[in-house]
Amino acid sequence: MLKTVGISKSFSGVPAADDVSLSLQAGERVGVIGPNGAGKSTLLGLLLGTVLPDRGQILLDGDDVTRLSPHQRVSGGIARAAQIPMTFHRLSVSDNVRVPAVHGAGLRGREAVEWVDEVLEMCGLAASAKVAAGQLGLLSRKRLELAKAIATRPKVLLLDEVAAGLTEPEIETIIHMVETLSEGRAIMWVEHIPFALRSVCERLIVMDKGRKILDGPFAHVWDDPVLQEIYMGVPDDNLS
Amino acid sequence: MTFKYANLLLIIGFGSLSVVSSLLLSSGMLFLLTEVLVIALLAQMWNLLAGYGGMVSLGQQAFVGLGGYGLYVFANHSGLPVWLWIVVVPLMVGVAALPLGMLMFKLKSAYFSVGMWVAAEILAAIVMRTDALGQSGGLVLRPGGESLAGNPERILFAGAGLLLIGTIVGLRVLLNSDLGLALLAMRDGEEAAEAAGVNVRRTNLLIFCIAAAGCAAGGALYYFSTLYIAPTDAFQINWLISMMFVSVIGGVGTLTGPLLGTAVLIAVRETCTSLGLTGGTYWIIMGTIAIATLLILPRGLWPALRSKLHVPKTEKEATIG
Ligand SMILES: Nc1ncnc2c1ncn2[C@@H]1O[C@H](COP(=O)(O)OP(=O)(O)O)[C@@H](O)[C@H]1O
Ligand SMILES: [Mg+2]
Repeated sequence: MLKTVGISKSFSGVPAADDVSLSLQAGERVGVIGPNGAGKSTLLGLLLGTVLPDRGQILLDGDDVTRLSPHQRVSGGIARAAQIPMTFHRLSVSDNVRVPAVHGAGLRGREAVEWVDEVLEMCGLAASAKVAAGQLGLLSRKRLELAKAIATRPKVLLLDEVAAGLTEPEIETIIHMVETLSEGRAIMWVEHIPFALRSVCERLIVMDKGRKILDGPFAHVWDDPVLQEIYMGVPDDNLS
Repeated sequence: MTFKYANLLLIIGFGSLSVVSSLLLSSGMLFLLTEVLVIALLAQMWNLLAGYGGMVSLGQQAFVGLGGYGLYVFANHSGLPVWLWIVVVPLMVGVAALPLGMLMFKLKSAYFSVGMWVAAEILAAIVMRTDALGQSGGLVLRPGGESLAGNPERILFAGAGLLLIGTIVGLRVLLNSDLGLALLAMRDGEEAAEAAGVNVRRTNLLIFCIAAAGCAAGGALYYFSTLYIAPTDAFQINWLISMMFVSVIGGVGTLTGPLLGTAVLIAVRETCTSLGLTGGTYWIIMGTIAIATLLILPRGLWPALRSKLHVPKTEKEATIG
């Protein structure tokens, strides 16, 4: 349903995405790993439209969306939870979720109110609905960033390190949330935490220096010697 | 107090106040108060644009001038009542602002601010060279070609009062609507709002056009009360300075702040006039007050005062109050 054909993007001559072609089927859950600076966030930005490619094409359900702005792609069913939570710090938690519910999912009136409540419940934020987002701690901000993405009712959910920087029990709650949220939608999840990806994703993509190096069934890619090579120098406990 | 109840109270309270005072006050006083109301209105528009929308325009005086000139041109040449044009001209200016906005939004932040200022200067220069607009000599208000019978200041003052209240209530409704939610979200992060499905560009354009129409309404009302308009006055930067002074002193991004700021501006100005202080000294005093206020109360008078009176229940209440 979501497909890229040879997309490339350079920042001042350094490629952050280099001729990346991939496709995502409905309901598929794909993990993305790669060293820092590999271009993972850039890839998600290209898919959402916050980054425009120098070359290549992006197709959503067969339609060319390469030049569409992010809000148009959101209406088309793509949503992203950003690596650094982009919450509306002066708005309450429930208003933060209401923005995508109204403007992304296009809901009005009672329907919007009920959907916001449902998303807050789903993301464990119901108790802090009235709190200003700027006053939340890191875990809650990460949850809110996820809630905002889900509130647009996406067909494709892009997750950028939504579990990074959290403690292990906190990561468990995020994994559980992602499992719940992945019901009936495709997910592309960028994360450095192997056990998190393994428990949710059936497919794994490896990126390095803007290129897609490996792409295939999770276990298959995981055992590929090339993956170990890319991560040389990275302490072992990070990988297992 | 519920939101709708508060709005109703605002309309009835201030509405009757402006109608009653229009019957009681002298015509010189009414003229001054009309100007006060117009400045408060203009400040609300600048506040909407810059304080809520983050578009720091330095060219809003262009719309004041357009509103004034629009009123004169259409009223003088049409034979239709002036009051009709007071309503129609701002709408026309709002529509005309659309292509200008589309052009100006190609410029980012500081370039947008300066671009707007340049656009205002160009417009003033064009008016000053246009024969049909009386060039630098200006125009006299002669609806349908005849001079105006009687002085309109009573009804103008009441009209300005009602317009200001309508504007404040309208802004409250706007900020509480889904469009307002988008605007408040954009204020905290445009990319985040866009990623949440908000059409950022369209929302900005809409706010830009509303602010243009509001400034034009202020200009039309004010220059109706003067019965004479000249380009050096209608397009002067003082309009902009007043809007900014009043918003910033009172509290940008609040609806009450600009009202409070207007009171300060007029109090200082009238004191200066009665002490016989000239233009230069007056602006030095104004500048000193502005800087002093912002050093002591960086968010302006109203947010500081409000936190003394009561603590807003929510951040949103704080932004709309
Ligand atoms: N907006 C930007 N401007 C300039 N360089 C950028 C920008 N975004 C990313 N980059 C660069 O592109 C490369 C890939 O970054 P990123 O996609 O964030 O990697 P990852 O998410 O895999 O850590 C890095 O070298 C980074 O410095
Ligand atoms: Mg990244």
